[in-house]
Amino acid sequence: MRVLLVEDDPILGQGLKVGLGQAGYTVDWLEDGASADTALQDETFDLVVLDLGLPRMPGLDVLSQLRRRGNEVPVLILTARDAVGDRVAGLDAGADDYLVKPFDLDELTARLRALQRRHAGRPDPLLEHGEIVLDPAARRVTLRGEPVNLSQSEFSLLQVLLENAGRVLPRTRLEETLYGWDGEAESNSLEVFIHHLRKKLGADLIRTVRGVGYVIERPTS
Amino acid sequence: MRSIRQRLLITLLSIIALVGIVTLARSYLDARHEVQELFDAQLAQSARVLQSLVFHEIAEGDLGPESEDDLERPRRRQLRKRLEREESRLDEHHGHGYELKVAFQVWRADGQLLMHSISTPEQPLAPEVFDRTNYRGGFADATIGGDHWRVFSLWDADHRFLIQVGERHDVRDELTTKISRRLVTPSVISLPILGLLIWFGIGGGLAPLRKVAAEVTRRAPTYLEPVDVGPVPREVRPLVDNLNDLFARLASAFERERRFTADAAHELRTPLSALKTQAQVALRASNDAERRAALEQLLAGVDRASHLIDQLLTLARLEPGTHPIQRQSLQLRPIAIDVLSELGGKAVAKDLNLELTGEADPTIAGEPVSLSMLVRNLVDNAIRYTPKGGSIAVAIDEDEEGGTVHLTVTDTGPGIEPALRERVFDPFYRGLGSGTPGCGLGLAIVRQIAELHDARVELDDNPAGSGLRVRVSFPRPQRAASGE
Repeated sequence: MRVLLVEDDPILGQGLKVGLGQAGYTVDWLEDGASADTALQDETFDLVVLDLGLPRMPGLDVLSQLRRRGNEVPVLILTARDAVGDRVAGLDAGADDYLVKPFDLDELTARLRALQRRHAGRPDPLLEHGEIVLDPAARRVTLRGEPVNLSQSEFSLLQVLLENAGRVLPRTRLEETLYGWDGEAESNSLEVFIHHLRKKLGADLIRTVRGVGYVIERPTS
Repeated sequence: MRSIRQRLLITLLSIIALVGIVTLARSYLDARHEVQELFDAQLAQSARVLQSLVFHEIAEGDLGPESEDDLERPRRRQLRKRLEREESRLDEHHGHGYELKVAFQVWRADGQLLMHSISTPEQPLAPEVFDRTNYRGGFADATIGGDHWRVFSLWDADHRFLIQVGERHDVRDELTTKISRRLVTPSVISLPILGLLIWFGIGGGLAPLRKVAAEVTRRAPTYLEPVDVGPVPREVRPLVDNLNDLFARLASAFERERRFTADAAHELRTPLSALKTQAQVALRASNDAERRAALEQLLAGVDRASHLIDQLLTLARLEPGTHPIQRQSLQLRPIAIDVLSELGGKAVAKDLNLELTGEADPTIAGEPVSLSMLVRNLVDNAIRYTPKGGSIAVAIDEDEEGGTVHLTVTDTGPGIEPALRERVFDPFYRGLGSGTPGCGLGLAIVRQIAELHDARVELDDNPAGSGLRVRVSFPRPQRAASGE
């Protein structure tokens, strides 16, 4: 899961980057509104965590620009202001959820999971595909009820493919999901992870679309 | 202190009573005098009437001076009877109480009492007139048998007899007493009535004040809308106007305070959030290096929160009106040297070239602790915002005319856009948020201290290229001699 974090406070930003990383997210961190605006135009993120008090461009402006461009990425805003008016303004500008500082890291990750789920249009917090069940909160995968041991990268890859079941995800998108801007993806590491997933969960689960990327077919149930 | 109402009432009643007493006393004396005059005139007139009556008798030989013999007695008796009749007739006809007490005596020159009225004693009414060699008339006061008499003596030189007409004083006294009683009674009755009327009158006059007081009393301490009591008298208008002015100033001060407190609380949320996040990251860390990094961030976050709290307290203490600063004559250069030596380490660590230029060391009137804070905030800002390898110059100099002392801090940082040069003085405004761990209060503090010293703060471009120049201009004390 690739998250864009926009937070100008260096200590909080650094903490969130590490904390969300611990929760399995790939985090790209920007410290001002204008850079965030540019990044959101150029790249694809699964989630956005946006602080409202930002230098160079207010968070609300970043948000309304984003929505004006028709981008539907789930956005959670962080705000120090807890007056109803401030929260309403954030939601009206297109935010999907908000958290008032100081917040709990667990609550933040739980809300991010809920946003993802709603965005994918499934009420069930568990991702199910045939005999495979993926629990995003517990970061656990079972096959026919038996736990499957996956690395963090393998888990993230499986999650994004399951959430976008039926859609072919380009290699670059998958690489960004795994590494963000920090990662030095080795040219064939994505193939290695896909290979591991096929070995653990079944060879026909993930299909390759040559020259484009990978896809998990929508279950025909 | 007594109420205005009581004071006015007491004052007014005292004045009225005093004026009343003086007027009454004056009227009493006047009345007594007039009564005396009137009665004296009456007495004299009675004497004259008696004289003509007696003279007539004497002319007829009834009362000749030498005719004191038995032959003449019947005539004398006759005369006495006539006089008595006359006397009682007068009584009946006029029937006036005051007249009853008129008495008369007719004396021969040799001291023999020729006749007298019934109720008159036989001794002379006014003996002193006989002591004189030649009998002379006039008024005299006498005491006969314990009574005070007013006596008029009339000497008939031609026929050599003396007429004395007397009247008891109590008649006059009674009259004057009556007159004065009539004068006093209405005043005595009217005084309490007057007091009551004044009481209500003053009450009515003070009603607008009471209305204002009630309006102010009713208020909750936070309700600072202007007092609206409708039209008020000219005397109360300044009170209402000044109250409203005070309320307006209080309201704006409260509003400023409220906004500042709200801002401060919000500003504290982000550092707290950072602390919490770093603490949770440390708890979840899968290895020691990660945990250690998070804990170091946590410590840095605590330092930063402390700094924010210090700055908030500084600003709160500098709030105008809370602590009037004690100014003294001082030099800025030693203060600047102190601050630069303290912050020099930070500058060196960032590879910044920090220097204090100029030779001048002019005297200004200031408060050393707050001025040191001002310099520290300016230099600290410069160190924060100037990139590695840059330079910061602090200069102290004075105008050619010697009227102004300048403290200038010039850096080679990013500078501040002209459009933002006013806003950066607002508390919590951060021109460049990214990467610089300031709390947005530094320049607010600088401006506050400058204002307490009647100094101006100007932001400009660094004249030598990119960067910011902050100049604080202090007025040079006019009369202050150094060492004052």
